Amino acid sequence: MDLSKLTISEFQKGLRAKEWSATEAAQTYLGAIETGDLDIKAYLRTLPESALQTAATVDQAIAAGEILEPLAGVPLALKDNILVEGEIATAGSKILENYRAAYDAHVVEKLKAARAVILGKTNLDEFAMGTSTENSAYQITRNPRDLERVPGGSSGGSAAAVAADMALGALGSDTGGSIRQPASFCGIVGLKPTYGSVSRSGLIAMASSLDQIGSLAKNVSDARLIFEAIRGYDPADASSSQQSDEPLAPFDVAEAKNLVVGWPEEYFVQGLNPQVGAAIEEARRVLEKAGVKVKSVALPHTRYALAAYYIIVPAEVSANLARFDGIRYERRTRNAERETLKDVYFRTRGEGFGPEPKRRIILGTFVLSSGYYDAYYAKAQAVRNLIRQDFNAAFRAVDVIMAPVAPNPPFKIGEKINDPLALYLEDVFTLPVNMAGLPGLALRTPVQEPLPIGFQLIGRHFREADILNLGQLYENQTAA
Amino acid sequence: MPNPIDKTTLEHLARLARIELQPGEEEKFIQDLRKILDYFAELQELNTAEVSPGEDGLKNAFREDDSRRGTREGRGAKSFPESQRGFLKVPPVFSAENGE
Repeated sequence: MDLSKLTISEFQKGLRAKEWSATEAAQTYLGAIETGDLDIKAYLRTLPESALQTAATVDQAIAAGEILEPLAGVPLALKDNILVEGEIATAGSKILENYRAAYDAHVVEKLKAARAVILGKTNLDEFAMGTSTENSAYQITRNPRDLERVPGGSSGGSAAAVAADMALGALGSDTGGSIRQPASFCGIVGLKPTYGSVSRSGLIAMASSLDQIGSLAKNVSDARLIFEAIRGYDPADASSSQQSDEPLAPFDVAEAKNLVVGWPEEYFVQGLNPQVGAAIEEARRVLEKAGVKVKSVALPHTRYALAAYYIIVPAEVSANLARFDGIRYERRTRNAERETLKDVYFRTRGEGFGPEPKRRIILGTFVLSSGYYDAYYAKAQAVRNLIRQDFNAAFRAVDVIMAPVAPNPPFKIGEKINDPLALYLEDVFTLPVNMAGLPGLALRTPVQEPLPIGFQLIGRHFREADILNLGQLYENQTAA
Repeated sequence: MPNPIDKTTLEHLARLARIELQPGEEEKFIQDLRKILDYFAELQELNTAEVSPGEDGLKNAFREDDSRRGTREGRGAKSFPESQRGFLKVPPVFSAENGE
């Protein structure tokens, strides 16, 4: 098996033609992880036993002549904030180092039903808070394209695993860019679906009004296959939408030519690295050459999005992370004599959370506190509405919006770690999409050397098909 | 608005958040949070008096208020660090000395 050329559809063809078995494939990938991950450190742990077990059932199904699901036998990686029953789930934090999930995330139930092979759990910034995967309490993941650089974050482990051929695809979560930015940094494809189209049940929550699970893959068609397998309404997540049960519009590349693409001037401003800007101009020319019309749109409140986001997120974090108290999720290392319940809370949270979760919990406690609520939190929510209105207005004139993913190419490990605000700024072009609940697809620009640079296509609510079709059209143009 | 983060505020917030700060964290957090709040100041130049702070165009998702079994049937109890004779064990709420 040549893993570097393999895609999900190629894998399925080979599986059906008996060029390889699901078991051989799982073994090959587990072997690739064993050697390749010594340097990259994308995985926190592998799940060889259950992976091989699933692969064996797929091989039996093939022998019995059963019809296979699109993801049957496909070796995938999961971000370690997604629960698999009976397995450790740390969310990259020491506070959850011995926590075993009591149930499967909804997406995991779906992957298991589809008989996908789950290779292991990947590294992330602690509780998905970060843009470099340097905030993990366990290890620093390196960018497979340049080991001195970060893979992006917070789904950096998932992106690195796919880019280094240590998984055929992966799941990540995206609260402000955490799928799209690492996909862009590692030179792969990442889809952040519409808020509500994939259940968040079993995703360890960071900011519930923004979190969304999505796919990381080697090309658009693979990202779509994974998305189709995990989407759908789930009563266990009240914010998941019935609309996500409707079939996805079919792949139609010819139709994609008729989509009108918006170019938001506010995204091509000071702060955008000129190299990144030039790379996206090239991607734009590829689309225009294919006959796609690109025109300017205005998103006037863009410059306020970052501040509003970094008020709303900590506010939700301070509430969501209150549950980690040393009592309910397995961590009671020592129990000093005469220690009361309150002492346990203070000690567990003081020792268990790393600096970034603490910073956000404290900041969130502040913006929600009496006397400051109106000036910060209420203000930020109003700004969120303005951002949403901006997008609604733009989507009256265009079908898809084209924008940068990250303002800079992948940076060096350690370069920004002591400056939280510098790391926050990495999200500036991706987080407005989460604020408005829209779907976004990160793709490779034609510039991948010396370092990968990506761009994103943003679609209307529940119109993932538009951005996937246009992404496929773009990919066809650049593959030649 | 003057920057409200100082040692007293930070200690108060950490107490509210039930976090025991580790050596060296206090100074760094004061510095970081002051810088982040300064960045937020640009929001104040934007007039939002006419904008609703609620979520535009979204509606609440309610379900019927009927009785139903827990979805996970107590499986969460397995993640408790300590249990005894079927009971979940936690440290005492009150300390013997100060009767708090």
